Amino acid sequence: MAPLLAVRDLRQRFDVSGSIFDRLRIRNGRITAPRRIVHAVNGVSFEIARGEVLGLVGESGCGKSTLAKTVIKLHEPTGGAIALDGEDITQHDFHRMRPIRKKMQMIFQDPYASLNPRQRVRDIVMEPYLENAAGPVPDVAERALALLAKVGLGREHADRYPHQFSGGQRQRIGIARALSVGPDLIIADEPVSALDVSIQAQILNLMMDLKDEFGFSYLFITHDLSVVRHISDRIGVMYLGFMVETGPKDAIFENPLHPYTQALLAAAPVLGTPLPPAADAIKGEVPSALNLPTGCPFRTRCPLAFDRCAVERPELKPVAGGHSVACHLHDGGIAAA
Amino acid sequence: MSEAARMSVAQPAPLLSVRNLRTWFHTFGGVVKAVDGVSFDVAPGEILGLVGESGGGKSMVGFSIMGLIDPPGRIEAGEIVFEGEDLARLDEARMRRVRGKRVAMIFQDPMTALNPLYTIGNQLEEMLKLHTDLPSARRRERAIEMLREVGIPQPESRLDNYPHQFSGGMRQRVVIAISMIARPRLLIADEPTTALDVTIQAQLLRLMKHQVTQNAASLILITHDLAAVSQMADRIVVLYCGRIVEKGRAADVIERPRHHYTRGLLDSIPHHDKAQARLRQIPGSVPDIRKLPPGCAFAPRCPAAQDICRRVEPELVETATGQAAACHFPIEATR
Repeated sequence: MAPLLAVRDLRQRFDVSGSIFDRLRIRNGRITAPRRIVHAVNGVSFEIARGEVLGLVGESGCGKSTLAKTVIKLHEPTGGAIALDGEDITQHDFHRMRPIRKKMQMIFQDPYASLNPRQRVRDIVMEPYLENAAGPVPDVAERALALLAKVGLGREHADRYPHQFSGGQRQRIGIARALSVGPDLIIADEPVSALDVSIQAQILNLMMDLKDEFGFSYLFITHDLSVVRHISDRIGVMYLGFMVETGPKDAIFENPLHPYTQALLAAAPVLGTPLPPAADAIKGEVPSALNLPTGCPFRTRCPLAFDRCAVERPELKPVAGGHSVACHLHDGGIAAA
Repeated sequence: MSEAARMSVAQPAPLLSVRNLRTWFHTFGGVVKAVDGVSFDVAPGEILGLVGESGGGKSMVGFSIMGLIDPPGRIEAGEIVFEGEDLARLDEARMRRVRGKRVAMIFQDPMTALNPLYTIGNQLEEMLKLHTDLPSARRRERAIEMLREVGIPQPESRLDNYPHQFSGGMRQRVVIAISMIARPRLLIADEPTTALDVTIQAQLLRLMKHQVTQNAASLILITHDLAAVSQMADRIVVLYCGRIVEKGRAADVIERPRHHYTRGLLDSIPHHDKAQARLRQIPGSVPDIRKLPPGCAFAPRCPAAQDICRRVEPELVETATGQAAACHFPIEATR
């Protein structure tokens, strides 16, 4: 069966040069005006099957949020292709995207910024549905209450404004709004990272219950490895705008192949274990996306980098059982070098 | 009282002893009892984890120790005895000589802690000028030395950079350098790594632990991250709605929590052994601190609550192992 979402070689760049006056530089006695390009997403490919949860992990600045916003066309992609349910939506303009939004909805990280403070909750949750409705909807009120009930909010909440709710409740409102159109895919960008841990568990449980009930898919973006392990079927690891490893959850956690994935897993604190020794840690910080390293994006921090890593960019290649990695070490690399 | 007397014999004199601290805010909406009767000790060289969710009062405990409570907030009662001196009774002038020199604090956002208009060299040397009698010629050397210790490459040239020229992780390293340069006895770190990525987080936790151990100082680590605290702390204090619900040795609290709130927090963390199963969640949310229920503040969310919990506020009761829980029906060790 065709995947629900297929993303091919997606690229997203942002020109942050500013005006010509901001760009002017004198270099070696000559006036130049170099452009400053942020390479946010650099040729990422992945698929999501129906009913599947793909977890996307990586540190801040790795492009995971930009990827999500590009997939749902809040940003126009610079290159590559996005197909939802077999339909290529890469070139769809705003107008042609509207029916697509019934199939694909988004939940945002900040439950304070993503709800209109001047709208009542019942209007917030029904807005996407009414926008997409063909004609008048007679049972708006009942539908709104039913949606709120699905996310654990009561009739008494329907006429309140967002500021009257706690962070966890606001996230429930955001989820109800996404559900209103009966989507096939929900893109959730760090939906629980602004919440306290006890509320986090409530929201994660709710999201999983709703998925079981309605059978949609999630593209679930988070930096929290314990959350991603809990919720995902498959996982993609991003670094500096590149997908460096993808695979089934257990393969990634039990047999991480990319040195970055290994370092990420080693660095994450685990309850009741001692602080890992410094020897296991990767050094330094993520390079700037304005100026990508040549070859492998991770080579500047990689303890195992060798000559080939600086000249040739590794491609994401399958190793076994749906597990793929972009690393020369797993490509007969050392021998070839 | 005999209990307290016995404790003082068994343990070395604490570096910091907070007794029955009450920090209240008098707002138009009512009195916010942000910290309400909190007592704990920090031994020399010890790392104490102060954990809880937002609104628990953990940051306010740190601010109270530093004397950073501004109106409408006030320390209503209690003692903060640090090296034999009650900080709660010091005036601002004398408190200034404590801050930075004997007790230092690190905040979540390093950019708010650094002055954007001065180079980090200025800011490091300022600490030395205020709190040590090092001659000015030696101050720069010491600042370079300190930057090297916290892992900043090329410290000689970075000294002349401004805060905005550093990344988030590097800025927090600079903040750690500034806070430790006068060799304080106690460091209070309020969510120091929350804004940072996991790989950077691990680096900084390791750095803080190293700095504290090397200077024989103590650390109060304030965080909501139980996993990080379990890796760092010798002892843990769990706060809920401004009160201590549980305290004890880190391993005891993490492995054998006695309070239902602590257990709920621990169960809320996704654990890979139980992957894809439902998480055990604490129902409801933290109550409005101005309208706390009578009795135990956690009773409305507690699976074990009974009538008495809704009427009588439980006292902290200590077990033989030094673990204490404020609960009428604590969880027994058989788990």
